Amino acid sequence: MQASSASPVTDRLRAALREAAIAGIIMIGIALPLVGFRLQETPGQGLGIAYRFDQVVIAGVVVAIGRFLVALFRPELQQLRGRLAQGGARTVRGGRVSQTAIGIAACLLAFALPFLPIADRYIVDTATTVLIYTMLGLGLNIVVGLAGLLDLGYVAFYAIGAYSFALLATHYDFSFWMCLPIAGVMAAFLGIILGFPVLRLRGDYLAIVTLGFGEIIRIILINWGALTGGPNGITNIPRPSFFGAPFTRTAAEGEVPFHELFGLSFSSMHRVLFLYYLILVLVVLTAVIAARLRRLPIGRAWEALREDEVACRALGVNATRVKLSAFAIGAMFGGFAGTFFATRQGFISPESFTFIESALVLAIVVLGGMGSQLGVALAAIIVVALPEMTREFAELRMLLFGAAMVLVMVWRPRGLIGTRRPSVTLARFTS
Amino acid sequence: MNAMTKLMLSACAAALLAAAPARADVTFALGIPATGGQIAAIGAQARLGAEAAVKAINDKGGIKGEKLVLEIADDQCDPKSAVSAANQVVSKGIRFVVGHLCSGASIAASGVYDEEGILMMTASATSPELTERGMKLVFRACGRDDQQGVVAAKFIADKFKGKKVAIVHDKQVYGQGLAEAAKKTLADAGVTPAYEGSVNAGERDFSALVARLKQEGIDIVYYGGYHTELGLIVRQARQAGLETRFVGADGLATNEFWSIAGEGGAGTLFTFSADVKAKPSAQSVYEELKKKGEPDNFAFYYYAAVQTLADAVARAGKEPEAVAADLRANGFETVVGTFRFDAKGDLIDPEYVIFEWRDGAYAPTKL
Amino acid sequence: MGYFVDQLINGLTLGSVYGLIAIGYTMVYGIIGMINFAHGEVFMIGAFISLIVLLLLAQLGVAAVPLAILVTLVLTAVFTALWGFVVERIAYRPLRGSFRLAPLISAIGMSIFLQNLVQLLQGARVKPLPPVLTGRIPLGSIGDHQLSVAVVQVVIVVVTVVLMAGFSLVVSRTALGRAQRACEQDRRMAELVGVNVDRTISLTFVFGAALAAVAGLLYTIYYGSIDFFIGFFAGLKAFTAAVLGGIGSLPGAMLGGLLIGLIEALWSAYSDIQYKDVAVFAILVLILLFRPTGLLGRQEVEKV
Repeated sequence: MQASSASPVTDRLRAALREAAIAGIIMIGIALPLVGFRLQETPGQGLGIAYRFDQVVIAGVVVAIGRFLVALFRPELQQLRGRLAQGGARTVRGGRVSQTAIGIAACLLAFALPFLPIADRYIVDTATTVLIYTMLGLGLNIVVGLAGLLDLGYVAFYAIGAYSFALLATHYDFSFWMCLPIAGVMAAFLGIILGFPVLRLRGDYLAIVTLGFGEIIRIILINWGALTGGPNGITNIPRPSFFGAPFTRTAAEGEVPFHELFGLSFSSMHRVLFLYYLILVLVVLTAVIAARLRRLPIGRAWEALREDEVACRALGVNATRVKLSAFAIGAMFGGFAGTFFATRQGFISPESFTFIESALVLAIVVLGGMGSQLGVALAAIIVVALPEMTREFAELRMLLFGAAMVLVMVWRPRGLIGTRRPSVTLARFTS
Repeated sequence: MNAMTKLMLSACAAALLAAAPARADVTFALGIPATGGQIAAIGAQARLGAEAAVKAINDKGGIKGEKLVLEIADDQCDPKSAVSAANQVVSKGIRFVVGHLCSGASIAASGVYDEEGILMMTASATSPELTERGMKLVFRACGRDDQQGVVAAKFIADKFKGKKVAIVHDKQVYGQGLAEAAKKTLADAGVTPAYEGSVNAGERDFSALVARLKQEGIDIVYYGGYHTELGLIVRQARQAGLETRFVGADGLATNEFWSIAGEGGAGTLFTFSADVKAKPSAQSVYEELKKKGEPDNFAFYYYAAVQTLADAVARAGKEPEAVAADLRANGFETVVGTFRFDAKGDLIDPEYVIFEWRDGAYAPTKL
Repeated sequence: MGYFVDQLINGLTLGSVYGLIAIGYTMVYGIIGMINFAHGEVFMIGAFISLIVLLLLAQLGVAAVPLAILVTLVLTAVFTALWGFVVERIAYRPLRGSFRLAPLISAIGMSIFLQNLVQLLQGARVKPLPPVLTGRIPLGSIGDHQLSVAVVQVVIVVVTVVLMAGFSLVVSRTALGRAQRACEQDRRMAELVGVNVDRTISLTFVFGAALAAVAGLLYTIYYGSIDFFIGFFAGLKAFTAAVLGGIGSLPGAMLGGLLIGLIEALWSAYSDIQYKDVAVFAILVLILLFRPTGLLGRQEVEKV
């Protein structure tokens, strides 16, 4: 009697201890070479080594204790997790009804942001960056989330948009409003040129080719100095004007500065606010267009292709054309975002268009939950604002960012707002 | 929604806390890459110098009795982050910036500062473009790439007459600027490079380049870029039995060059502002900086930039416009020598000397 | 001609290193169908561990270079393999059976994490190592061009060939290799017939990491300078190599690595060095256009 009641507990304890010991040993094993020894250069003597074995032991003990607790309370934890998952499922299901409502509320909040008492130049500017990434995310979402094409070189279209605008504006005095559609078309055109030969490749082959394409564009930007300014980039890109009224203290002849037009006193905040609202409107437009596209036959075709390419082709869907359209439209939004980026920065150079940007945008799409626009916005806030908020922990911020990416994926593989289900299902028609 | 609002709110709260103004202090922002890779190591050098200067000033009673405070603005050496960091500087109400460290970041951030009437003084961004855009509040307490390239090219044309010259750079703002200036000067002197090429920063394999230099029979290579790449090029050249002489710029003035290149680095030449560590006037600062590790040139120049700016603020008050006028009007005694600024905000006549690596140390060349 | 041979040797050396890293990509892809983006970082960790071990041995006074390198090789492989194991356990195993992109994003996150971790632990500066293997072996001459090859280049190619041969044997002859191939074919079926799938996948990561560690050691000796960022470039090239050769195929990874090394060297030799990466990717696209699954990849059977 006594034995049978005591043994599960001792068994559990013993098992937990064993797990803890293994975890601790592994931790010491991986920490020993990289934590235990530190390469140090002493001038004149070359590389030396410093020892930090105490930290290795601490790391091992901490991990062992952590593992022990987890192992000891595993059944309880699993129960808790199950309950949380159920609760989560319920909210998601409940939330589905009002996703549009949440979207509208988020928009309203975004429109009101600059009027909140906490909004200063830095906040509004960071919010602008968040919106740029939201726009990129929405564009890539069409390619990856809806059409299921893995694109690791999205930054190329962003760069094309930025450089198209910068070149047209600095050489031919085109205005932002004229360049926006041109840059979009250029990016879309490039998307088609790239997409045409490679879209018959499958999944991961496509990924590496697009990655290579992104790199090629960057290398060309660096090396074609005569056109792109090489590594120096392009400076003095004109800032957008308010329908012809520039945001400057004094305007050139024949122009009225924005603040005089409205009888305000000059403030450089005007431009920051204008840029913020500009990108906000662009993002909302993008979101609406993308949502509409999804309901159109072409959007249905994207999703169908993502779910089962073979079946689609059997049904006579022109797979190449459907993929191309997704690629081109996604590229176009990337081009728009690039144009905006260039006009906001006033200065662009190839270092702003590296692979890590593509990875970040892809992370936004996947973290947000593929196909979900609200998720993209949420993920953009996390990916951009989180590192900004942790500016104070300078050295740790990218470390934490990487860890967060892994943890979110492990915790919610389908993304924060994960609803990758076809927009139409048979169930809706039968019920 | 809930999570989003929370996030937004906490972001705002964090910003509010950070924005609390420090009264009765003079605050300088220091624009450096505190994170973001290898370049962060150079950022740490700049920080070392700037912090030491601030401490020295405060130990002597601050600026007219007001304490000098240094705030780090991390730009990750990236233009986009630099704009963000600049906006944070604006939000905190800081009027003076020391930095930024990198040229791209400096150019991007200077746009924001110019709009907001904030004065910035870099001690390391050497791209000519930075001060060529008519901004009144941008200063540069160091030389420009074009100045250094010219000095090196004149030296090559003078001392290596009739030799086969190659120009190689790393396709970065600094390296390409140097290479282009050198090429132009060489052309004026009637020297046409026998080979021109470039490498990717961050790469390790230069065997193909080395074989090519060997094939073309190059005698002397002008390299625009940093020590990490040139160190490897030299090393691989020696390994392949190529005894070409290399000429570089101030990026080579670090012990790491010798550690990477090894004995083969002997004879490598580079342009450098007259050796700070050898100056008698710099010895006390050198001793001070050495307590936290061997300082390199960046530390001294950022020390000097803080000194200069603090002097100008002490004389002209806390209005950036007035400080700018003062900077243009006066000479400044700093740890690295006397600074005078021209109308563009560049240093007048920065002194460049040709140095030579030999036995793990560099000294003015005897060539 | 002599110049051509020189560049050929350079290309082969570089290609061997790419090939060794590419094997890790290709095996992981073969078995669980994911691009292990953090593999370049595992290689970087291998390079750091090898440098630390080499310096420790030097401090202990191990003077015989071949012995030191052999000991380093074993220790580095063991410790780096442990890293590979842990990375898989933390970042990928919980995501098994999840949708395709989840492990990819997790891998990108892991890659950022490891890069910054090593930067934090070991500092951002470049870590130099004085030349370990010096000397050149003369190979005669063509015309007046003296041909020779560096000892370290010979070591790299020989180690790569030996490891490749050994590893191919493991995959084709041992129980582990059979289990691996079974998992590649059909994971669920393999589990049903008694293959321990979790263990097999773990071992795949362990072997991939060990090979990357060897690549890291060779890299450290050859170039003599490493930093926390080397994994990105090398990983990118190795991944390209794996795809070029046909991802999932072991000989393909090696072939792809060699090809990319050769393309880089020969392009740099006869054309603009700055466009060599463009050449690599352009050739990759061309090859994929005509062979959509790479040079030695299995053709996918597709029914419509």
